[in-house]
Amino acid sequence: MTVARRDVLSLGGGLVAAVSLSRRDVRAEEVVEIRMKGRADGSQVWFDPIGVLIKPGQMVRWINYNPGNSHTTTAYHPANFGKPLRIPEAAKSWDSDYLLPEESFSNTFTEQGVYDYLCIPHEHAGMVGRIIVGEPEPHGGWMELVAASRGVPDEALKAFPMVEEIMAKRIVRRV
Amino acid sequence: MKKFVLAPVLTLASSFCAIAADEVAKAPPAAPFQQVSRLVKLPDFLPGIGQLFVDPATLPAGPFLAYGRDGRLVSTIYMLPTKDLNPDKSFDNLAAPDGNVDHVDVYYNAGHPGVEEPHVHVVLWHVAAASEASVAK
Repeated sequence: MTVARRDVLSLGGGLVAAVSLSRRDVRAEEVVEIRMKGRADGSQVWFDPIGVLIKPGQMVRWINYNPGNSHTTTAYHPANFGKPLRIPEAAKSWDSDYLLPEESFSNTFTEQGVYDYLCIPHEHAGMVGRIIVGEPEPHGGWMELVAASRGVPDEALKAFPMVEEIMAKRIVRRV
Repeated sequence: MKKFVLAPVLTLASSFCAIAADEVAKAPPAAPFQQVSRLVKLPDFLPGIGQLFVDPATLPAGPFLAYGRDGRLVSTIYMLPTKDLNPDKSFDNLAAPDGNVDHVDVYYNAGHPGVEEPHVHVVLWHVAAASEASVAK
């Protein structure tokens, strides 16, 4: 089961212990924060971090930190505008719809596997992200995702961080 | 014969432009312009741009009319998808409701609701460069 929730940020308090993503040890009860960011002139947009490794049952919260743009976090799933399936088959899809600045959306991940998602208005600009749910395996048990890519623009395909890199670093930021 | 036909047409066009300029000088501009933040989910005031209005029939190119917080027109913006900048496509006769242009900026934009693909902003500023700060925040 996947639980999704849409919030408006209450700045200055109320946020549950958001994870400092510089820490390597992420506990399942902590919320992982992914920021939606962009340059002031709109020339570049991205998720920060672009790749994270989390544990089953852990919640991810996306927050729009881009004052001049709206963003979505939308699973690659046929239920979302016919996008190809790039999340585990047993997992439930999610779509935040447009988030204005300072709005947020949360989703809890329970199925192990690789989840790819996009920002609807910025897929062609390569604004995509990848979440891996599961325990790290020391000897490279995870292979690079072999997923449907039909209709996914090259800019998006090039932007996905490698599964192996996420497994090794746990947190991958855009270069 | 053509001269006789053209004369009233040109006269009509000129008076239309004059009326249009007057009607767009202050926010909100006259119909068919509509506030962009009411058409798509975007902030009402965009840092660096201002409050945007567009005639939906002209999407994606526009013109988009941008106003400062004091309600005055600061720029006219055209949004041209990069995929359409090719030998088989052109943008002709885009309306320019206010002809008073101080300077022009051209820059890349990754996309946003309303124009959801990478595109180029061509910005006709109706104020001096130093006054762009009025829509910075």
